[in-house]
Amino acid sequence: MIEILSIGSGLSLQDAGRSGWRRFGVPSGGAMDRRSMTLANTLLGNSTQAPVLEIARLGVQVRVLSDAWIALAGADFCSLFKAGTARLVLAGEVLVFDQRASGLYAYLAVPGGFRAEHWLGSASTDLRNGMGCALRRGDRLESLRATPNITTEGVARRVAIEPTDQICENRAHFELYRGTQYEAFSAATREKFVRSEWTISKRSDRTGYRLEGNSLAVPASIPSEPVLPGSVQVPGNGQPIITMRDGPTVGGYAKIAFLKADDLDRMAQCAPGCLLSFSWLD
Amino acid sequence: MKCRIYGDRGVLLSSLSEAERSRLLHRVESGLPPACDEYVLGYDSILLIGAQTIAVQEWLEQTNGTEVRAIKPSGCRIIEVDYTGADLDSVAQACNLTVTEVIELHSAPVYTVRMMGFSPGFPYLDGLDPRLHLDRRSSPRDHILPGTVAIGGAHAGIYSVASPGGWHLLGHTELNLFNLDAARDLDPDPAQVFALSVGQRIRFQPMSTP
Repeated sequence: MIEILSIGSGLSLQDAGRSGWRRFGVPSGGAMDRRSMTLANTLLGNSTQAPVLEIARLGVQVRVLSDAWIALAGADFCSLFKAGTARLVLAGEVLVFDQRASGLYAYLAVPGGFRAEHWLGSASTDLRNGMGCALRRGDRLESLRATPNITTEGVARRVAIEPTDQICENRAHFELYRGTQYEAFSAATREKFVRSEWTISKRSDRTGYRLEGNSLAVPASIPSEPVLPGSVQVPGNGQPIITMRDGPTVGGYAKIAFLKADDLDRMAQCAPGCLLSFSWLD
Repeated sequence: MKCRIYGDRGVLLSSLSEAERSRLLHRVESGLPPACDEYVLGYDSILLIGAQTIAVQEWLEQTNGTEVRAIKPSGCRIIEVDYTGADLDSVAQACNLTVTEVIELHSAPVYTVRMMGFSPGFPYLDGLDPRLHLDRRSSPRDHILPGTVAIGGAHAGIYSVASPGGWHLLGHTELNLFNLDAARDLDPDPAQVFALSVGQRIRFQPMSTP
């Protein structure tokens, strides 16, 4: 069992998200960086669906109340506990996430995952839509199992072989597919989009990453069209928004591009202030 | 109809005519293309998540043979509305109508749920009287209560969860569009989770004043 001592700039329970509900208007949600969430679970022999604690940026502190196996992955925010490793943490130890490091999200897994309520088949917190609740100081979270599903040697072996995430520092490049309204943007605008450097805005969250930089000439809005995480939409102000895990399922802004599915996790770890550049896939 | 890839995430069929759209709605109910595990409806589009272009084209050829079944003679759901929305006056003014006329025009038609989106269970309703078609508000509100009955563009809708929004607010209904208790079930039934479904017909009825 762990107790939350400080919620820092944000933490929530997340898992692999809810699939099959987008046509009812329900975003898939789930861990922003799925690869890291999966790694944290894998290190302890958990199912990859097991609920983990998603820690956004710095300031989070948790106290371990009884001896517990814990795995960390994603951003390397905990100075005494390297991301991409797992170990037995003794009762009373406090994990402090205050180490400046690249990335935006760290993941904390416990054996079997955290006990959590499920909505539409997922424990992912989606506050906007009433699923789950905001964690507060003093909340206690319980793990489903007392010990990992696998032996101590098994955990050690996985820590040694599992590759950790490639987390961008303050600059990242992404190759993009052309969006469904690509042709609606002028050739000059499309060129400007890939020739410009963009900064991830502070006004970014789990629903979308806003980009600041040049302003793009925007074509007319379109009849509402399905949107997926990784869609790059350009709203009226000409500043693109990359839809993320909690983003809406449909939208009327023109989509200039799509991220590769495999790049979503890497994008999720790009923190506000990170510089982005793009190029088109052939 | 246009068929195009949606990055590496699936295939989007867009610019659908009404006939194509309704044929596809029936088609997805009887089976999705290979590798496609989920679909999402847009206004005149449908996204087949996970599907590949060639498989979709073959699937479409099968679709061409299917007859469009007659619309299910499902009843028309009556939704009681307390017409006390914050924008009744401004809508009346913008449409050059009285508030009573706005209420009459809004509660007269039989609407059809075209799609759900924006929020869980939020219905985009076809059938709004053209005299009530208005652009969205220039400044969206930060907080609209669930159950708020509203209009935006050519559509009527009902806010399903507390959210920001730019539609014009006409009233309020007690109907719970997104039932979180039913969503907690081990194997949730969409019919229990969402009050409305795509294709369903509804009508608004002014609440009788006591």
